[in-house]
Amino acid sequence: MDLIYDLLREAIAPTTAAFALAAIGLNFHFGLTGLLNMGQAGFMLLGMYGYAIVVREGGPIWLGILAAIAAAAVFGLLLGWPTLKLRGDYLAIVTIAAAEMIRYLGRSQNLNALTGASTGIRGSDFKGSFEMLSPFPDEQVTIWVWTFHGTRSTSWWLLLVGWALVALFLLMFWRLSKSPWGRVLKGIREDEDAVRSLGKNVYSYKMQALVIGGVIGAIAGIVWALGASVQPDSMGRPTTFWIWTLLLLGGAATVFGPVLGSILFWCSLVLVKGLASLLIPESVLSTQELEPFSLMLVGIALMCLVIFRPQGVLGDKKELAFND
Amino acid sequence: MTETWRAYGDDILTWRGSLTKRIDRRAIMRALIVFAVAALAVTLVSSVGTSAFAETSDTATIAASSSTVHADVETTDAEITVDESSGPGTNRVAQNVFNGLVFGLLLALASVGLSLIYGTTGLSNFAHGEQVSLGAMLAYFFATQQPVSIPLTPWEFVIGWPLWLASIAAIIVAGGTGWLQDRFLWSKLRKRNVKIVQQMIVSIGLSLAMLNLLQWWIGPDRVRVSIAIEERHQFGPIQLGSTTAMSIGISIAVLLGVGYFLLRTRLGRATRAVSDNPSLASASGIKVDGIIRLVWVMATSLAALGGILMAFYDSGTKFDVGARLLLLMFAAVTLGGLGQPFGALVGSLVIGVVVETSTLWLGPDLKYATALGILIIVLLVRPQGILGRAERVG
Repeated sequence: MDLIYDLLREAIAPTTAAFALAAIGLNFHFGLTGLLNMGQAGFMLLGMYGYAIVVREGGPIWLGILAAIAAAAVFGLLLGWPTLKLRGDYLAIVTIAAAEMIRYLGRSQNLNALTGASTGIRGSDFKGSFEMLSPFPDEQVTIWVWTFHGTRSTSWWLLLVGWALVALFLLMFWRLSKSPWGRVLKGIREDEDAVRSLGKNVYSYKMQALVIGGVIGAIAGIVWALGASVQPDSMGRPTTFWIWTLLLLGGAATVFGPVLGSILFWCSLVLVKGLASLLIPESVLSTQELEPFSLMLVGIALMCLVIFRPQGVLGDKKELAFND
Repeated sequence: MTETWRAYGDDILTWRGSLTKRIDRRAIMRALIVFAVAALAVTLVSSVGTSAFAETSDTATIAASSSTVHADVETTDAEITVDESSGPGTNRVAQNVFNGLVFGLLLALASVGLSLIYGTTGLSNFAHGEQVSLGAMLAYFFATQQPVSIPLTPWEFVIGWPLWLASIAAIIVAGGTGWLQDRFLWSKLRKRNVKIVQQMIVSIGLSLAMLNLLQWWIGPDRVRVSIAIEERHQFGPIQLGSTTAMSIGISIAVLLGVGYFLLRTRLGRATRAVSDNPSLASASGIKVDGIIRLVWVMATSLAALGGILMAFYDSGTKFDVGARLLLLMFAAVTLGGLGQPFGALVGSLVIGVVVETSTLWLGPDLKYATALGILIIVLLVRPQGILGRAERVG
């Protein structure tokens, strides 16, 4: 019974919304344009830092969000500049390297005053002004089966904002992917040379997709940070790989794929951990071994997905022919 | 058929002549230029960083002193290396350059394999870092006096083999995983014509699975393969430990062996033919699948050897050591030219020296970041790398 409650809670938790947002951003990169961005966690981390630092220094919320967006956009431009003219795997290597670089810089002692080094920025330093806006009462609120706090951290307020953002960007993705602009991106994904021969500036289109997806990633980072705190090591490479797994699980290039994928991913993690601790005795699999065990299953699931069902749950196999 | 193959071999021989010429002049010039630019950029960044935070330095020092308590293994390792290098009568610059060369040699063991796999199959293998960790972990598993166990089995036992036996066993087992991987995964994917992009995502899944398997198996703590404390000798301005000297010897010997294999033997020539043009190689009567399987076994064994020697060099290892090295390997391989095994060697040495000497300007916690900075600069200036041939991409 507890397990079912945990599952229901996980399905709507702000983390799930944050990862769905990050996956929508990645959907612009990979699903629409076929760009291999392996550094989405870096965009998220930049978004977090941008927001948290500005708000901590007394800036208003809108300025924080603007800083996050600007940081991600500049990062995207910098990454795209040398790599978008090269073959796809160069972008993968550079984005993964650059995301790690952001993390190393963030946890470096040299920038301690700014980023708080490896301890990060505490939630209480930057969450205040966001929580002040909450229309919910400052106490535990139960709606149907779910109980969350009204305003603090993982709250109904953050949940509302997070899922509203998800809905907003889903709508944006849906409209843009149907627009002439989106059709050019899909063309680039399928056959770059054909699009170039039609006189389109492929480089510029790819750059636009990279920046838009990255900015959505940064906003996902803000949502994530508001639910927890800014912690550079929580945004390492595994996070990027999880986002990839859940995007491919739900179905790349589909509108609802990222959301479905995020919900399925987090719920199945909870389910695997819950079932394993129920069914496998402590002597064989201890509690601290549960985490690597379930993440190992994530890795295997990612491999199997790509090999056996590359289109995911919702996708259309004909739609998604990978372009080398 | 055989004649075509011979002609192809001759072709490669002439190509090799030009290769050595290119290593001599232009490549080294380029490496130096990249190095100088990177050093300049790093100095600039650090000076900007210091001046910008000069006024807040009081709070920074207080925060720093409080957070050194929480500083985790990554930083502490780096600090230990720095302490070791600052013995009496030791020139810090010379010592760091030397350390960098040693680190580069060990890195080269791993990245040559990565480059060979890329060359023959076109796959950027993101799971290669885990092969490095696997080697180190297997050596620990076979050599340690601590009780070890296999996941999902309740028995604990001590193997405790001598170090050389454990290392050889670890390399053999790791090479076996390479064979198994190619036999049951990669060759199947190639046969099904799975695109390179998809294969790359499969390798990412594999790396995630292996990383967590190793953590589950050996545990999240830092382990020591050898408990012996190495003797240090003073050679002019540098200090050299006996284990390190042995590591240098082994890695140079193995790298020379790989070079001999690739340049002089028939099989090595076939390997280069496959990485040059698989269909032409196949048409000339080379068994492409067999060559690729050999490359996988070689690459994984070399990676395991690199991991073991790295564990001696750092006097300890951890389940994610390879994950952290992977990006350095990619930087090295890209710097040298994707798919060029000798490029990977040159690239690794440059990356090694830059990473170690950067600690003179920057904090030790930023040393890996410099390598990634170089990677981006290289892609801007010369995307095909030092030894790569220019080709139009995209």
